[in-house]
Amino acid sequence: MTALFDSLQFIYAPQIINGLSIGVAVILMALGLTIIFGLLDVINMSHGEFYAAGAYLSVTLLGLDLSFWLVLVLVPVILFPAGFLIERYLIQRVFHHRDRHILTLLLTFGLAIVLEDAYRLVWGANPMRPETPISGATEFLGIYFPQYRLFLMAFGSLLILGVWWVVYKTPAGAIVRAAAYDRDMSASLGVPVKAVYALTFAFGVALAGLAGVLLAPIYSVFPTMGKDFILLAFTVVIVGGLGSIKGAVIAALLLTQLQSISSLFISPVWSDPLVFGVMVLVLMFRPAGLFGGFKNG
Amino acid sequence: MKLKKAVIAVCALMGTVAVHAAEPIKIGVVTPLSGTYAPIGQQVRWGLDLAVKEINAAGGVMGRQIELLYEDEEANPAVATQKAEKLFQVSKVDFLTGTVNSGSTLAVGQLAERNNRLIATTVSFADSITGDKCSPNVFRVNARAGMQSAALAEWLAKEKPKANVFFIGPDYEMGRSTVAAFKKAAEAKGAKTVGEVFAPLDNKDYSPFFGQIRAAKPNVIYTSVAGNDTVRLFTQMSEYGVNRNVTIVGASGTVTSQNLSAIGKAAEGFVTGVGYSPKLDTPENKKFVAAFQAAYKALPDLYGADSYGVLYFYKAAAEKAGSVDTDKVRGAMRDLEWSTPQGRKKMRAGDHQAMQEMYAVTVRNGQFDIIGKVSAEAAVGPDACTRF
Repeated sequence: MTALFDSLQFIYAPQIINGLSIGVAVILMALGLTIIFGLLDVINMSHGEFYAAGAYLSVTLLGLDLSFWLVLVLVPVILFPAGFLIERYLIQRVFHHRDRHILTLLLTFGLAIVLEDAYRLVWGANPMRPETPISGATEFLGIYFPQYRLFLMAFGSLLILGVWWVVYKTPAGAIVRAAAYDRDMSASLGVPVKAVYALTFAFGVALAGLAGVLLAPIYSVFPTMGKDFILLAFTVVIVGGLGSIKGAVIAALLLTQLQSISSLFISPVWSDPLVFGVMVLVLMFRPAGLFGGFKNG
Repeated sequence: MKLKKAVIAVCALMGTVAVHAAEPIKIGVVTPLSGTYAPIGQQVRWGLDLAVKEINAAGGVMGRQIELLYEDEEANPAVATQKAEKLFQVSKVDFLTGTVNSGSTLAVGQLAERNNRLIATTVSFADSITGDKCSPNVFRVNARAGMQSAALAEWLAKEKPKANVFFIGPDYEMGRSTVAAFKKAAEAKGAKTVGEVFAPLDNKDYSPFFGQIRAAKPNVIYTSVAGNDTVRLFTQMSEYGVNRNVTIVGASGTVTSQNLSAIGKAAEGFVTGVGYSPKLDTPENKKFVAAFQAAYKALPDLYGADSYGVLYFYKAAAEKAGSVDTDKVRGAMRDLEWSTPQGRKKMRAGDHQAMQEMYAVTVRNGQFDIIGKVSAEAAVGPDACTRF
């Protein structure tokens, strides 16, 4: 009996908490992705590079001796207008084309390649890492856990709730959802649809940037870092249901727990096949994902 | 009139002859310029560029200048073979080097056999390259995993006798073979294996494995992850306190001057067996380090030093052969002794593995200090190549 409790306390509990902290990181990536898809119907392949942009900006700003908390505010503020301009001047160019999905996918994919190379030119190929803003670890019931990850889980949860609240409980969110549901009707009722699109895209980019600042101390910063979470984030968005915030949260927690717990028993190399296996099953039996898009919300 | 034409024709002919004599020797470089191993590719490039600059300034090889043709292999064997094929077939390179990923080296080695060209790796560690998968067309000028392990195991047996070792490797050829090599070397000297885990290349988060590591209660952790993966593993280990009261040792490519600053304090005390340190106290090395720093504002690491050395290896062989013909150069390379920043190296004829003195080094205040030494003969191990 004690052996069972011991293994629950010292092996499973830390593993579950660990999985949670990775899950929060994945949700932060998937949120912007699912919002941009839900509203704009655009598959943003450059989302990972915006995440990298946030991380690189944070390294640069921290290098100027700014405090981490200020940087955490500054980076999304800098990336928001950048996202706005990208939507207005790049995405809108191909947005009304018949092949919107293909063209926006290619456009954002191209943008991702350009950005990745730009990071290498500006910051070099070597990895960088900002110091963890909250150092040290907490011991709780014999489980040893880094304080920064605890902060990340708390802050990330608040952020996720905040985004959910904005989308579902505020007039601004109602306008966004209305524009997603029926663009022409919203426009005829006086919703400035074009501005809503650009602002929503910018919001998604700012979220990715924020994730970059938060995760850089744990995962370090290098030109190809954008590729890291993007596959898992896409999987989460597909499994959760494109455009669904609730779906993204639940799918992210489910998949990261699956990876975390399974890595105790089987070789970690199997964690990717496991995750993609779940995705294939969901696509086979519930092609719209576990929860429909936020148009239906 | 006729005479004038004849003179012009003769002049033109002589002109082409002169141009032909000065035609450069083309050396292809297939190395990762992007992706997780880009920092390694950067050192490879710096080392090669510096050597070419010196060799060309001193008159080239047999009067011919060396020209390097770079291709990005993205640390991906499939890409590496495509790029190498292009260099062999289209650019008609005389020699090829630069492959980093051991899988790329093996794949490009097979391609070299089909194209009847020679290649040399300056980075790949996997023992099999000069062991059971050896090729008459492949040479290795850097120290292989087994040699690094021999130096490290020697140090470990002295400093931490009867250690309980946990192994963390990246899950591909290099990771598996480095772990296997060190396990064998360490167990032969009394260490005990308490657990192992192989994580995928480019793994994001190592914390899911820390439970296993804690449960195994090691006092030494051996790892052979490289590049950005090391930054994550080391900082996450110190985040979780996994490295408290544990000595971290590893492959020579785990901590390098490229990722050391990103790892920061978490790298302190790391010990590895290696064939090079910028701190080597020899006149050749001091000259090399000074030239390297002047050119690139960075210290060379083992990749930079071995890549610098490979061109002098090729130069010595081509000059000994008096030709760039594949068979003649291969013959000249066997048992060739040449000088490098690490001192004299000798290419063993039986398996095409360079023999050199090996060192145990540790990270102290962000620099690699030499703390032990093993002779070339003791480190190199038996010749396991049976193909030629």
